[in-house]
Amino acid sequence: MATVETRALRKRFDGVAAVDGIDLPVREGEFLVLLGPSGCGKTTLLRMIAGLETPSSGDVLIDGRVVTPLPPRERNMAMVFQSYALYPHLTVADNIAFPLKAHGMRGAEAAERVQRAAAMFSIERLLKRKPRQLSGGERQRVALARAVVREPVVFLLDEPLSNLDAQLRSAARDELQQFQRRLGTTTIYVTHDQIEAMGLGDRIAVLDHGRIHHLGTPREIYADPADTFVATFIGSPPMNLVETDDIITGFRPEQFMPIEALPADEPVRRFTLDVGRVEYLGADRLVYGTLAPPLPPSRVIARLPAGPELPVSTGERHEFAVRERDLRHFDRASGRRVN
Amino acid sequence: MATKMPARERRTPIQDSSDGVSRRRFIEAAGAIGAAAALSPFIMPRRASAAAKTLKILQWNHFVPGYDKWFDGTYVKEWGAKNDTEVIVDHVGIPALATRAAAEVSAQQGHDLFMFLSPPPAYEEQVIDHREIYDECIRKHGKPVDLAVRSTFNPKTKKYFAFSDSYVPDPVNYRKDLWDDVGMTPSTWDDIRVGGRKIKEKHNIPVGVGLSAELDTAMAVRALLFSFGGSEQDEQGNIVLNSKNTLEAVKFARALYQEAMTPQVMAWDASSNNRAMLAGQVSLALNAISITREGENKNIPGTDNIWLAKAAAGPVRRIGLEHVMDCYVIWKFAANIEGAKKFLIDYIDNFHTGFMASEFYNFPCFAATVPDLQQQIAKDSKARPADKYKVLGDVLDWATNVGYPGYANAAIDEIFNTWVINTMFAKAASGADTPENAIKEAEAQCKRIVQKWRAKGLV
Amino acid sequence: MRAPAARHGPTLLDDERWLGRLLLAPAILYIVLLVGFPFAIGLYYSVSDATVGTRTLHFVGLDNFRLALENATFWQSLRNAVVFTLVSQAFVVVLGKILAMALYRDFRGKWLVRFLILLPWVAPISLGSIGWLWIFDPVYSIINWMARGLGLLAPNAWPIWLGQPDLAMASVIMVNVWRLLPLATVIILGGLCSIPQDIHDAAAMDGAGFWRHLFLINIPLVMPIMLVALLFGIVFTFTDMIVIYVLTRGGPYDTTQVIASLAFFTGIQGGDLAGGAAIALFLFPVLVAVAILFLTLARRAEVT
Repeated sequence: MATVETRALRKRFDGVAAVDGIDLPVREGEFLVLLGPSGCGKTTLLRMIAGLETPSSGDVLIDGRVVTPLPPRERNMAMVFQSYALYPHLTVADNIAFPLKAHGMRGAEAAERVQRAAAMFSIERLLKRKPRQLSGGERQRVALARAVVREPVVFLLDEPLSNLDAQLRSAARDELQQFQRRLGTTTIYVTHDQIEAMGLGDRIAVLDHGRIHHLGTPREIYADPADTFVATFIGSPPMNLVETDDIITGFRPEQFMPIEALPADEPVRRFTLDVGRVEYLGADRLVYGTLAPPLPPSRVIARLPAGPELPVSTGERHEFAVRERDLRHFDRASGRRVN
Repeated sequence: MATKMPARERRTPIQDSSDGVSRRRFIEAAGAIGAAAALSPFIMPRRASAAAKTLKILQWNHFVPGYDKWFDGTYVKEWGAKNDTEVIVDHVGIPALATRAAAEVSAQQGHDLFMFLSPPPAYEEQVIDHREIYDECIRKHGKPVDLAVRSTFNPKTKKYFAFSDSYVPDPVNYRKDLWDDVGMTPSTWDDIRVGGRKIKEKHNIPVGVGLSAELDTAMAVRALLFSFGGSEQDEQGNIVLNSKNTLEAVKFARALYQEAMTPQVMAWDASSNNRAMLAGQVSLALNAISITREGENKNIPGTDNIWLAKAAAGPVRRIGLEHVMDCYVIWKFAANIEGAKKFLIDYIDNFHTGFMASEFYNFPCFAATVPDLQQQIAKDSKARPADKYKVLGDVLDWATNVGYPGYANAAIDEIFNTWVINTMFAKAASGADTPENAIKEAEAQCKRIVQKWRAKGLV
Repeated sequence: MRAPAARHGPTLLDDERWLGRLLLAPAILYIVLLVGFPFAIGLYYSVSDATVGTRTLHFVGLDNFRLALENATFWQSLRNAVVFTLVSQAFVVVLGKILAMALYRDFRGKWLVRFLILLPWVAPISLGSIGWLWIFDPVYSIINWMARGLGLLAPNAWPIWLGQPDLAMASVIMVNVWRLLPLATVIILGGLCSIPQDIHDAAAMDGAGFWRHLFLINIPLVMPIMLVALLFGIVFTFTDMIVIYVLTRGGPYDTTQVIASLAFFTGIQGGDLAGGAAIALFLFPVLVAVAILFLTLARRAEVT
């Protein structure tokens, strides 16, 4: 267990900054998620922390010690790759044992540790197989077992669930979280999937263009996004944004509802909506529309329960509103949130 | 009556290195087979532009460039005009000759006249009997030299499988300055051994008699073998290699190698002795007059110190080899057999000019065609001293054919071309094997080869 | 399953079966004409009394093979061919691996280095070998002059590269290595490039150092393709005579004679086509065995 920190970390590829000055403190035992669209620099950041990539400038610290010049093998971290990167010519047992052997451990102790790691992920029966004989989920477990076997101080996970099909993924997410809680090992997890990020992370760092836009708990990030990028990147459908003068007003689709659904005594902001389309999603309906004058014709979305109450139909003009306390305001020029 | 027409010529553009027989050796052999096989059909159907007939000749790039200039540029043009024939002369490098011939035979088409540089007995079935040409030349010029007959006649089948217009002597080339310095002349093999050792001790310059898998070595070791009274076969073609005389020759070669030579002779190709001699790195070599001619033509310093001597005498006789034997064949499948015959007969009539154009490189097989040979070689315009080549005057007294004392037959040819005798000498000289064993092994090889060719009925 | 009668001529290309045959035809024609036909001729010659000058052949059974086996030079050539092939291929594989790893990295001027390394493969082998002939020349050997200049040669030492049996074998091996290295390097480089970067990263994270990475990860993963390179190299070397023909013609005294050159000297230079064909055919079973062995190994070593 350790803390990890990056200080003003930068990485340029051919003059373009992939990681552009990131200060990221990771707490001991924390499950930190790096979230962002592809190309945002999250994987490069992870690889620099791992030591697989040399920073152009800045430092990486583990437990307050600068490790920037050290190769990966001296950082005592373990990494799980998107492709799992199992050694195809080795059996599962040899794959798991590889980090131990690389650190000079052999014999009974190594065998015992392999057994323990395999047991942790219930893959004892696979130990004699080669990776190509395994399913995607089994491979992922082997990769995890290989990562834990050495008992590293930090886990680095690079989209480890993205190669699994949807059904397996939620189960795997659950397992992953459980085992991290159990071991309590500091974990940095890279993903572009916000559901994974929200579900797993103690804290989430939202990245774009090599910078951290927001570092906070899932709740903070969802409720009080630091800027319009975070506001629109998190949540599905994303936060509605309405531009007026120098201010952008934001509100979540589920907080945007017909005026009749809101208690009369609460301060609200009213919007007149020309309903364009209503999408039925089973539990919910999504109402797509355009704001009516005098507001600019912004496209907005409302998420309503699917029940028969609150009828909204295509083509009608309907009065909608948001509670004042649910409104967020951003500076139009910088996109930063203002209070 | 006929209009003048140009004799077309095509040359394979291969760079001349130096030795008469050995230059342009380094063509990829397999490539040559492929190229020959691939090209021959396209070369074949060539329409004569104006003349009634076509005659196609293939021969080597002559060591003396002036010869080809005369042959292609003057002689065949005049002959073509006189005979209403378009003459096409193709030239190839030496290593391509064997592959080219094989390709022409397998395609059953090619040139009307094909010139080999050594007797081609293996092709006997594919060629016409050249007796008629010999008869006509004998009628005009008298008997050919014995060497020519023994290189082109198969006594078993009584057939002339080729026609030889000329041969190239293979004298001893030696550094007069060095040999004078030790007060000797390389007249006998014993002189070569004793003087060679002295020169090596005094000047650190060894003797350069090849012991490698190449043509000059093949000639040199045979000269040594024959002069010691040994030979591969007897007059009737029986293998008699394993003899006391052969043993003496091989033992002598071992002594010569160990006392007066260096391992470089094991590495030589056929032009190495030219280079070594002209670079002043060896005191003696066996070769055609190519070394001195090259030195003269390129004004290489030290050339004047390189003198020629008759083939060295051994305990039994003074004998050397021809260095190159010109052997023209006319394929049975040739398109213009009559023209080819006439060309050869006419060529012998004009051989004097050919002798001069070759700068004394080609010696006449019909001696009467060059009656002034002695006077010519006694006063050469390029050589210093001018009578340097005079020593070749009695070449017929000491030159013989491959296969001596018998005929050059197919078995002898394979023994020659698979370097059996070269290997025998080299193995024993280097000490890799005893002389006795080396001879025994070589004789087994010879017998195996002869047995094969006997079974084929050619020997 | 029959195509309707109307489908003729122009629709032939639409028929996958016919299109497949059509597309395969050039390859089959190539194999038949340039491999199958000469091979059949070789077989035919080897049991006949063919010479370069005969057209009518007689069946002689296995005489030619018997004669070859009785020939001490044949056995020596076989031994030489094995040594020549195995030693040069050992060097080719090791050096090819090293070069491929060097070229795998990114560095300035990489394309130039790649180009230079590929050069021997592009240059005609006969030209290249002639260059080597000069490098090894007894009088002008560049190696010797340089070694002397650097004071590496004893005053009286002057190695004759092509004139001393061991040196001669070493020389032809050196040239053969020089010649085949580019191909092996490119093949192995291809193999290296096909290993996902993740695997290398994983090994680095797992703590493998250079040697462990090399021997436990890198080499096992390129092994199948290295075996293919090795197979190519062995077949090339075992059947080739150009290097030897140009440099030593089998000398000194047959110590560098190999099967292919002996077959050439016997069959073409010596005129005994049948004997040459019989000698050359000894290459065939050896090569088939090698090919089967390696393809089996490569399949076994194959990984996802």
